[in-house]
Amino acid sequence: MVERGAHGLRLLALNPAARRLGLRADQAHADATAMVPHLISLPAAPDEDAAALRRLALWAERFSPLVAMAAGRPGDEALLIDMTGGAHLFGGEAALLADIRRRLNAAGIPARLALADTPAAAWALARYGAGAETIAPPGQTRLALAELPVEGLRLEPAALTLLRRFGLKRIGDLYDLPRAGLARRFRGEAGLRVVERLDKALGLIADPLVPQRPAPLYRSWRIFAEPLTDTGGIETQAPELAQALAAQLEAAGLGARRLSLTGFRVDGRVTAISAGLSAPSASPAHLLRLLRETGLERLDLGFGVDALMLSADAAEPIAARQIEIGEGRAAAGPQALAGLIDRLGARLGQAAIRIPQPSASWIPERSEAWVRASDEIPPPLAGEVAGRASATTEGPSRGGERPPPSRPGGRDTSPASGGGKDSRYNPLRPILLLDPPEPVEAIAQAPDGAPARFTWRRAPRRVIRAEGPERLSAEWWRVDAPDAIGRTRDYYRLEDDQGHRYWLFREGLYGREDADRAPCWWMHGVFA
Amino acid sequence: MIPVLTPSAPPDPNLFPRATEPLEEVAAATPADAAAALGFALGRLRPATATDVRPLVLVTTAAWLCERGRPFSPGLAAWGAGRLIWVRAEREAQALWALEEALKSGAVAGGLATVEAPSLVATRRLDFAARAGGAVGVALRVQAPGDLSAARRRWRIAARGSGPAPFDPAAPGQARLRAELLRRRDGPPGAWDMEQDDATLGLRVVVGLAGHGLAARPAPAAQSGLGEPGCERAA
Repeated sequence: MVERGAHGLRLLALNPAARRLGLRADQAHADATAMVPHLISLPAAPDEDAAALRRLALWAERFSPLVAMAAGRPGDEALLIDMTGGAHLFGGEAALLADIRRRLNAAGIPARLALADTPAAAWALARYGAGAETIAPPGQTRLALAELPVEGLRLEPAALTLLRRFGLKRIGDLYDLPRAGLARRFRGEAGLRVVERLDKALGLIADPLVPQRPAPLYRSWRIFAEPLTDTGGIETQAPELAQALAAQLEAAGLGARRLSLTGFRVDGRVTAISAGLSAPSASPAHLLRLLRETGLERLDLGFGVDALMLSADAAEPIAARQIEIGEGRAAAGPQALAGLIDRLGARLGQAAIRIPQPSASWIPERSEAWVRASDEIPPPLAGEVAGRASATTEGPSRGGERPPPSRPGGRDTSPASGGGKDSRYNPLRPILLLDPPEPVEAIAQAPDGAPARFTWRRAPRRVIRAEGPERLSAEWWRVDAPDAIGRTRDYYRLEDDQGHRYWLFREGLYGREDADRAPCWWMHGVFA
Repeated sequence: MIPVLTPSAPPDPNLFPRATEPLEEVAAATPADAAAALGFALGRLRPATATDVRPLVLVTTAAWLCERGRPFSPGLAAWGAGRLIWVRAEREAQALWALEEALKSGAVAGGLATVEAPSLVATRRLDFAARAGGAVGVALRVQAPGDLSAARRRWRIAARGSGPAPFDPAAPGQARLRAELLRRRDGPPGAWDMEQDDATLGLRVVVGLAGHGLAARPAPAAQSGLGEPGCERAA
């Protein structure tokens, strides 16, 4: 692998064959080709390396939920796994490292492994330790690091040069130096602060790991002796996973809001499906059903999966709800509705399930927002059941300006106080809206009057009844999209001789607005 | 298969089936009547939704949306569909599945799906799902029905000239439509003229209607109060 540097191409990484021929990293490419004319070199791809490491980090979550990536200069990357209190699950520290090595070998990934008290010490031992697997016994980090070269402290090249110039080659050489002088001489960026790096490696100051992703608090595991290679196998394991996870959630009084099923593949990758829940749930049947709707077959099993993890990535308290007397069949209400929305969303996509929400605009297409139902469960409206509704809207007013249908902070009556109809009730609005509006050719008797006949979708229509205009002016304050503001609209409710009712508008005012563009007609909706 | 209705058959308002069957089928007489058919379908669901806290589900297919426009909640609220969940399915199979899931979940009061030509099996499944979930379902068909279906009632809807507007003779008034009941199990087929009813947000049968003539309309309270907004609320 070569990399373009300040002084031309340099070698970045080599395979064992090249190393045997005497080449080394950081060598100029020209020198290397002079030594080995048949050298095969490829440009480095740091992004792909990082992506591969990230995949491996996800896979490494099978050993511990806290996995961090130590990114650094190219060639310095490592995976840091926090195994605190977990090694006994794998039969001890040596057995753990052997297990990791065996699995990585099976996936064809060469690695050097080390286990130590601090992440920095483990990094140094993995990079510069004697063997491919090094274990520093607890409390003996100082001893284990003493013989390693100072490069093991992950310092910047400038600091390394300076240290070498002082004759400080091993980490042990730094132990006995006066700390004040050392700290004074090496300061500035993090990579230059030798004392800080040393203290981190020795565990004298905290060096917290930032995990790749937050560890799920609730998860259930199945590990198999033989890898599963088909969806049928997963299908049989899923109920037990769901049971175990639900039991954990139940004990904590929580419900899952986000669920993911992760399969750890034998080739060092993971495959996962996830599903969201619109209301927290700890019912195993619901979790299982949701996984099935999302599609277990979407898991890419590759050469097989030897561990399955079902985790609740987000969990929230379940609010206990008292069932009202006489609620009867609707008692299942909120839970059943949340379950339905989840199932529909898992198959059709959460974006396909929408509920309407009024928004503060009188431009019809902006006066309602269809928000995702998974974000907002429609609340049960107690007032809506209250029998006979009462009219709260204004009667039709002739011409002129009409107050906007949903005025922010205006006259709108809330659903509860209105006694029946909700505030969106407006019989002067169509039930179907054409968005965007469709162009119409219209002929009006007066330039600013209602059309007498019009042609829509190539069919001529004769208007026999008309009402309007309802004038909606453009939202001039919308500075974010000056082109989209548009012109004043005059809306008409029209009825043709077939009995169909339409909602047309004329965009622009004759002679008063945007004089160089003639007003034009649009079809915006159809009434029932 | 479809009974031929004689135009002179007098519509008997007493024969109009007010209660909704678990599954009904509503078809538009012509493509332009789709909005009227949607309004009628909402009117059929109204008795179920008026006394139920559960919401209503509307399932649309992509083709229908593209052709007819999207649902508009202010207008739908005037038809009693205030609490609505809109499910956008791509294909008809998905729409049928979504409606079936919704009906049998017991979480919704009623469901509507726009379908092209559901099979007999699909409609039977919908019928059972609606019974299981205690909901009412309406299959909103694009074309007039000519095939087998398990729906207990099959309607054909055509828009009619609207009723008189109270303050302006030239303006469109209450929405009116002609509902033909092509097939029912509990009585003879028939045809009725119907009008949107502001008070119940549903539909009522209008008798003695001819063309755009004045209909016998019960004197609403609004007319005595000179049409001032809010007077109906005071009543």
